Order: sequence, then structure tokens, then C-alpha cells
Amino acid sequence: MTGIKRKGLKINLSNRETKEEPITEQVAADFIGGSGFGIYYLYRELNPNTDPLGEHNKLLFVTGPLAGTNAQAVSRWMVCTRSPLTGAFARSVCGADFGAWMRFSGYDFIMIEGKADKPVYIHLSNNTCQVGDASESWGKDTSETQDWLIQRYGRNTRVACIGPAGEKLVRYSSIASAQRTASRCGTGTVMGSKNLKAIAISAQRNVQLHDPVAFKELVKEQIKLMQASKAYHHHTEVGTTTTHDITNQLGIYPVRNFRYGQQNGYEKLSGEEYRKFRTGNFSCYSCSSRCGKIHQVSSGPYAGLQSYGPEYETIWAFSGPMDNTTIEATIAADKLCDDFGMDAISTGNAIGFAYELYEKGILTKQDTDGLELTYGNHSAMIELIKKIAIREGIGNILAEGVMRAGAIIGKGAESYAIHVKGLEPPAYEPRGAKCLGFNYATSNIGASHSYGYAPQEVFGSPIPRQVDRFAEEENADIVIFNQNNRATREVGICCSFSALWGWIPQLFDKMLIAATGIDQIADSGYLQIVGERIVNLERSFNVRNGFRREHDTFPQRILKEPLHTRGAPGEGQMIRALDKFLDRYYKMRGWTPEGIPSSQKLNELGLSFVLKDMPVQ
Amino acid sequence: MRKIAFEVPPFLQDLTNGVKVTGVSGNTVGECLDYFVKQFPSTKKLLFDKDGKLFGHIDIFVNGVSTFPEELAQPVNDGDTISMLYLIDGG
Repeated sequence: MTGIKRKGLKINLSNRETKEEPITEQVAADFIGGSGFGIYYLYRELNPNTDPLGEHNKLLFVTGPLAGTNAQAVSRWMVCTRSPLTGAFARSVCGADFGAWMRFSGYDFIMIEGKADKPVYIHLSNNTCQVGDASESWGKDTSETQDWLIQRYGRNTRVACIGPAGEKLVRYSSIASAQRTASRCGTGTVMGSKNLKAIAISAQRNVQLHDPVAFKELVKEQIKLMQASKAYHHHTEVGTTTTHDITNQLGIYPVRNFRYGQQNGYEKLSGEEYRKFRTGNFSCYSCSSRCGKIHQVSSGPYAGLQSYGPEYETIWAFSGPMDNTTIEATIAADKLCDDFGMDAISTGNAIGFAYELYEKGILTKQDTDGLELTYGNHSAMIELIKKIAIREGIGNILAEGVMRAGAIIGKGAESYAIHVKGLEPPAYEPRGAKCLGFNYATSNIGASHSYGYAPQEVFGSPIPRQVDRFAEEENADIVIFNQNNRATREVGICCSFSALWGWIPQLFDKMLIAATGIDQIADSGYLQIVGERIVNLERSFNVRNGFRREHDTFPQRILKEPLHTRGAPGEGQMIRALDKFLDRYYKMRGWTPEGIPSSQKLNELGLSFVLKDMPVQ
Repeated sequence: MRKIAFEVPPFLQDLTNGVKVTGVSGNTVGECLDYFVKQFPSTKKLLFDKDGKLFGHIDIFVNGVSTFPEELAQPVNDGDTISMLYLIDGG
């Protein structure tokens, strides 16, 4: 039973119609919010094989039932759609304030349908929805666009918007809000394809809770636990800028397009070195951690540039792939990606791919407008970012993502394209951290650390058990645990960093009950089943769009070339037994050998409405 | 000196020849770590900075409970188990 009424808003940009959709008690109980609502409504609303960049694709902004409260680190939001990079399900998560503002506006989700005939923005305020002319802002970067709308609608306004890259349909465009981005899978590209520049919400704090008294006590307990946690203080102190030190020592820092697991001279990019450039901190809504770190360059070619970052993934994206050890260039690259509205991970991979093609002679100076793509040349990296964002020259090809760029360039370039299902991987070498690696292979969104991060092999977490990071099929249960667990947390939507702050096991379910009144959450294992339900429905979405076992794989390099770690552990590691892993993973998931959720599993999870869409088994 | 079990975290096992649990001695967590480092000297650079201070990204547990903020100064008793976690994440 749910205690509060929840609803979503559908906005059709083709005919400008809007419609509120009440969320039924059954849907609320089965999917809770966040990642659950994301896949439920997308599955229900989208036809199979919808063109990701066509007007029939839908873009779903979703928040969770804890957003906008004074609970810490739970006001995140996400964007779900069919990805233009992968053709698969897309789930891209973001911080800042926008999730809280969605709740203040009264909506758990906002679904964008259709396509505007010219650039527009959406403004929500006091139960009204206005679609305005955005021609004036077309071409503005993400900061300028947010300033433009906040100036127009006042300080109680928060904005999610695209930059020039989204307008140009760069396939890995992001959606920005304040200093954070929903980056992965090209959600900003879908927004651009709909001629939607921004969504602005003007609202006052207004969140309805099922049991506000109990909730208040839980928040007090949460803060107490967080403050007693070393991880909280560590994130407050350094953010994620020291992760680079560890992953290099472990030999899992991908270098030169996933050839090496450690970078020569990585000490130049240590957390202590980044601290020298730090000018401030920033945080997301209702989070005292302030793990965001502001860096500024004071001399050299990038003097004057200030960036709200880079964080670990961006540090890697603009150092490892092109073997750059100049900190100033990583700060400049981070700033450019934020302003243009591009996913730093995919951008860095695309540039690293181009550097390797240049090394191999597949690309020449004639192809790059004279840029010399030699390892360590950071000025060429910066120029390539600009070229990708405006789709100029070689940038127009790299803007397609490495999978399509490889096919366009030809001459064997395809074999150097590092991706899973079309999504470029993040900053963890899959041959040296194989739980993460097999998560890349089987994730429903492609190669993402945000889908099923493996704290067991990177942190040494003993939950549910310790692992050997070089083991393969033996760890299928861990990959499943991590994927389900992340989906469970993202019904919240919890910040993944806060998973280490000591409050989640004790308080997360209690907070959800106090916020929503869904008392089934108190049942042992209930939330874990919700997580499993979400992953299975996402998988069904992909199956319905033609994905099968052969898509759960790795790039050729990862399967055929040994990892070189430059003295760190893991030298010579390869993925040895993908088929054995998949056999075991599918069996444990209750899927067929083809990777299709079985009718028994779908029935067990209450997903019988999916059965009609599955191939005959 | 008390007898303590030290669960070697996965990120150090490459440097302990695969040893997953080893016995250490000491009256505090710090003394036990010193004992461990003497057994496996190459682990020192992954635990302590150049000034000998425990890295901020390492959390040490005794019997599953974090030792923060006492950390190295925390006393230990016979039969205790020490373990540790890396406090890192991507983003």
C-alpha cells in the first residue's frame, strides 16, 4: 500500500499537448521510482525498433521518492531513452539540484514525446507548463543557456539543458544541470533531435512525505552515521581525484586505447597534484560532502580556465587514451566537454581511438586538418574536442562514436574501436578488473561503470563476498549482485559515493517506507527483487530491440590481446572464457542460453506483460 | 603482544604471493600493520604516504567495525581480526 499520490507529466512537442499521468499504487510498489519508473514507462510507451533520433523516441526525466527532502545524497535524477549510440536502453544519472526541483514541481517523471518544429524550451511553474521559443539560445553553451533561463525566470529556477554538441547531434551528447551532467549513452543527443534546448523548473520547496516525523529522525541518524564514516570525510577532502593513483597501482588504468594498464608518469596526475590547482568545492542538493572540486589553471596555454571538475573518469578520459600527463589540459578538456555538452568518457575514447589510428597510419595529417595526433600532444586533443562538438572535419566522424567511426573510416579501423554495444568504456581495464569487465559485457546500457560497479575487486569490499579480480565465470554471481544492487539503489536515487558512507544498509529501506508508505519494502529481500525486476525489464527492452547473446561481448582487443601493466599486477591477463561466463551468468539469471529472460523468470518477477514481446522459447 | 588475524585485502594480495589471511602481532592497529609490512615490505607504499601516514583512502576495520577516527592508535585484543577497504570511486 502506498501512502502518497504520485504522478508524472507527459509533454508532446509535436502538438504541444500536456497530460498528467497518475502513478498507480501497483506500479509504485513494483518499481518504487528512479530506475524503476525509468524502464517501466519507457518499456510501456516505446514501440520496438523506434528510431532513437526520430520523433517517436521518448525521453524520460525521472527522479526518486527521496529527492527534494533533507536526506543526504539522494536527490539525483536520471534520463532514460533508447540510446542513439547503442540502440539499447539508456540510463544516465546526474546530480546537482534538478531532481529536487522535479519533486517540488510535483512530478516523479517528465516524459518528452514528439519533436518541436523549431528550437524550444519547456518551463514548468505552479502547475503550468509552457513551451517557449529557444531560437535565441540555440548555439549557446550549457552555462550560458542555464544563465539565460534563470535570468528570465528567477533564482528559484533550475535548468537541464543541452549545449552545441546536442544541437549538432553528436551521438554522445550530455544533458547539463548546474555543474553536473547526465552524460552517458547520448541522452542529450535525443534531446537535440527533438529541438528541445532546455527544461526549466521554477518552484518552491514542497515535498509530501508519508511519515514526516519518522523521516526526520531517519535523516538525523543518517547524518550521524555519515559523519562517523571515514569514506565521507575522504570524499569531502579529495572527491575522486585520488582514484587515479590507486587504479594505476593496480594496473587497471587504461592507456593508449586499452593497451596498457598503467600510465608512465602517472604520478604527475596524482590527487596531490590536482590539489595544487583547487580553488573550491561544490555539492549536489542536500549533500554536505561537497565532493565536487573546482580547479583553475593560472599559467600556460590554458591560463584562466576554471572547471567544476575533473573527477576521476574525466581525469582518465583526457590522460589515458592519448597518454597525456599535463594536468592543465585535463582541466581545459573537462571545461570544454561541460560547456559543449558532451560525455567526457566517450569523447576521450573517440580521441584515443583517433590517436591510435594515426599511429598505425590509418589516419594521416591530411585527415586531421594538420593535427599531429602523437601521444602526449594535448593541444591536438583540445582541438579535437572542439572539432567533435561542432562536427568539423575528422570531428564529424568521431562525433558518431567509435563503433560507427570505425566503420566509416574503414581500412581496419574497426578493430581498434573499443566499445560494448556501441558505448565506449570508462576508466577501468576490463582484463584487470574482470567483475567490472563482465559487467561491461552484460550491462543493458553497454560499457559503463555506473551500471554494476564492482567494489569487491577495486575497494576490497567483502559484501557479499571477497573476489579474485582475475577470476571469470566463478564471479558471475558477483556481477549479478552488483547490477541488481545498483538498480535497487537507483530507485532512491542514491549517490553511488554515499554507498560507502555507512548509512545505506541500515536506513535506505526505512527512508523509502517513510517517504512513500510502501510498506512491502520492509519485507526481507523486497528491494533486491525490485532491482532484479528492473534489470530483467531492461533486458527485455533490449531483447525486443534485437539484442541477444552475441551482443554481450568485448572488443577484439580485450579478447585477443594480453594486457600490459608496466610492472603492476595483472601482466598478460586476457578474457579467457567469455562463453563459460555467459553460460553461468544466464543460468543464474534465469535466462535462456541466448540471453533471453525465461517465461518462468518473467512470471516470477511480475513481468508477465513482457511475455508477448519475447521470442518463442 | 597480542595475536591478531590480518585479512589481506584483494588489492594487496598480489604483493603477498596470494596469501589471504596472515597472523600479526601488536597491541594496536598500527603495531599490527608494522608487523605485516615487515613480512611483506612491498605493501608499504600502498598503505602509507612518504611521511609514513596512513593513506586517506584506506579504512581499517577491527572485527568488521571501522577504526575511524582512532585508526592506527586503536588497541586490539587477542583473537581480533583486522581488515581494510579502499575508499575510492569513479565519477
